[in-house]
Amino acid sequence: MHLRDEEGFNFLSDIAAVDYLGWGERHVAGYFGTAAGRDLGSQSAQGFARTPQPKPARFAVNYQLTSVPVGRVVRVQVWLEDGQSVASVVEVWPTADWHEREAFDMMGIVFDGHPNLSRILMEDDWEGHPLRKDYPLGGEPVRFSGDE
Amino acid sequence: MAVTEPRRIYTGSRIPAPIPTVLQVPSDVTDPEDILQVNFGPNHPSTHGVLRLVVDLSGERVVGLRAVIGYLHTGFEKNMEQKTWWKAITYPERIDYVSFQNNELVFVLAIEKLLELEVPPKATWMRMLLCELNRIHSHLVFLGTSALELGAISMFWYCFRERDLVLDLSELATGMRMHTRYFQAGGLAEDVPRGFEAECRKFVEWMPKALDDYEAILSRNEIWLERTRGIGLLSAEDAIALGQSGPVLRASGVDWDLRRDRPYLAYPALDFNVPVYPNGDVYDRYLVRMDEMRESVRIIEQCLDGMPEGPWIADDRKVVLPPRHELHTSMESLIHHFKIVTEGYRVPEGEVYVTVESPRGEMGCLVVSDGGPKPWRVKFRAPSYVALEATATCMRDSLVADMIAIVGSLDSVMGEVDR
Amino acid sequence: MAVRKKQRLADYGLNSERLLMPGKGPGVFEQELGELEDKLMLTTVAKAVNWAQGHSIWPDTFGLACCAIEMMSIVSSRYDIARFGAEVFRSSPRQADLLIVSGRVAHKMAAPLRQIYDQMLEPKWVIAMGACASSGGMFNNYAILQGVDKIVAVDIHVPGCPPRPEALVEGIVRLQEKIKAGVPPAYEIRGVAS
Repeated sequence: MHLRDEEGFNFLSDIAAVDYLGWGERHVAGYFGTAAGRDLGSQSAQGFARTPQPKPARFAVNYQLTSVPVGRVVRVQVWLEDGQSVASVVEVWPTADWHEREAFDMMGIVFDGHPNLSRILMEDDWEGHPLRKDYPLGGEPVRFSGDE
Repeated sequence: MAVTEPRRIYTGSRIPAPIPTVLQVPSDVTDPEDILQVNFGPNHPSTHGVLRLVVDLSGERVVGLRAVIGYLHTGFEKNMEQKTWWKAITYPERIDYVSFQNNELVFVLAIEKLLELEVPPKATWMRMLLCELNRIHSHLVFLGTSALELGAISMFWYCFRERDLVLDLSELATGMRMHTRYFQAGGLAEDVPRGFEAECRKFVEWMPKALDDYEAILSRNEIWLERTRGIGLLSAEDAIALGQSGPVLRASGVDWDLRRDRPYLAYPALDFNVPVYPNGDVYDRYLVRMDEMRESVRIIEQCLDGMPEGPWIADDRKVVLPPRHELHTSMESLIHHFKIVTEGYRVPEGEVYVTVESPRGEMGCLVVSDGGPKPWRVKFRAPSYVALEATATCMRDSLVADMIAIVGSLDSVMGEVDR
Repeated sequence: MAVRKKQRLADYGLNSERLLMPGKGPGVFEQELGELEDKLMLTTVAKAVNWAQGHSIWPDTFGLACCAIEMMSIVSSRYDIARFGAEVFRSSPRQADLLIVSGRVAHKMAAPLRQIYDQMLEPKWVIAMGACASSGGMFNNYAILQGVDKIVAVDIHVPGCPPRPEALVEGIVRLQEKIKAGVPPAYEIRGVAS
């Protein structure tokens, strides 16, 4: 609310929830090229394995805010563990209604104070939260005609 | 920090409370038995895809409204996490299937921002050109289908005639009519073919005359004015509070266009106007889109005039495939080619949120990378998703017939809404 | 899972699909249809009925996703399907003969799709347009039905992502030829409920 009234960020573009389960478990090797050339000081430039920097919690909820006539942009990140909930911003930015419902549906993040927190994209009786990292992709194995 | 009294959003605003996106039947309605709940189901004659509206009607007036979406949920974001960066570029196009180039653009721009890759100017200008062509395509589909729903059936055929011209150009440049997959991280997948400029100039000459035709049919037509003026009002504050962007926001009087205010590609080098209309009704949204089509034609002409020569894709071999003739001579190129094709290039760790002015509004893409060959998380901010949140506000005090006009004017593409 | 009963198209003599080769005779599809017509020995009345049915297939407005835009463009003046008899797209399934499933079918949409199919009167045909309707397309995941033939009996699959309008017109023309030759609709061949 401070941001909205005092800084003038009156426009909420997006609420994106990211699940970081399994972040950093895989070593990442390889050279990261940039147009400016190799930064020999960086460990990854030599092709060594490097783990990404660890994150504070499992979930991050990103609020993307814009100040419409002026054009400044800010992104607010809230870190949550599985099971924690965060206050809903529907009173402040009404557009958050469906964004928060989607974050709840896809990731299982509960927003306190949301007037209608129900599933929006999946069916109402769906179990599980599809975009979590421990939810399987689903689908079918592909059948090839040569196998029959 | 002192807690200040929250500014009451709902005073003076037409946004329904407590749920901003649901219009609830007021408790003081005279005869509750008279309310008829009608389901405008996922399959309905108005060609807007699979949107379901549960509407409470008192006679012809809409007193309650609830939108149910999710009938086209595809799990794009989950699928993209399983593919390498290269392969994942095919997915965003199908999100908003009417303005496909813009979706590709936003994802590719996000990858390039993380990679800090410099794109050659020819690729930038060609991307701008194709995106503006796409804008014309999308507005033509909007116009054709909205007019069809409101009864101006012959507009459908006129608009789709021009749409076929746009798709011919797209096929000439990229090989596919829709879902072209032409943008690559670093530039374009192939060079611009030789005859493209001549064909595009023919189109640029023809299009303003077609637009004049459309205006002659619709803009001063008494029936069109009756059906669209004063319908679906959305004030400027409500539009901003509801997160609207694009033509819906500009028709409510807010002068905000991402191409000019948060520029990307080479838009600062171009000269174009941004149409803004004050009333916030269906007619103004129609006018905004008509004017945007004219502006897009001007932009395309400027792109053709100003198209620089040069390479069409960046030179960084770690990300971009080397040219084929080099594969015969250089071992290093062969290895690069092999690594890129089999394993995929790697994008450095980071998070970035990129926005693009798609024909429907602000299309945003949040990309989180862990440094590996596959995206960790991709989130698309679809403008139609947010536009549908405004249905309850726009449809306050409206009739059933106006509902069709309003849903058409919000121009929502369900692929984008449901992702 | 499609249960293959003993009635397959192969039992009717239709074994393969090949495009008409320019410069050569009629393709395998046309030859097989010709043999079929001789085999079935339809009466003149039956042939007349088939001709009438085939040349006046009215599709139902069932556009779901990207393929719907290409389906709309076959109605437009360049790829006009009205000249093939599909004069109007009926929005009520009770008045439609052909269900062109154009686009990816989410699991949430599968129930309305089946409901629309059930509301259509026999004889009715289904074209699965595009890769997503035929097999799930590029979306092999939790949300998309992997092929609409899991819930309805499909007559023609049109490949492409999205198929060119001409490809869809080819599909409709092939359907017309099948109908005229006397091949029953897919639900009769499969023996499933219609």
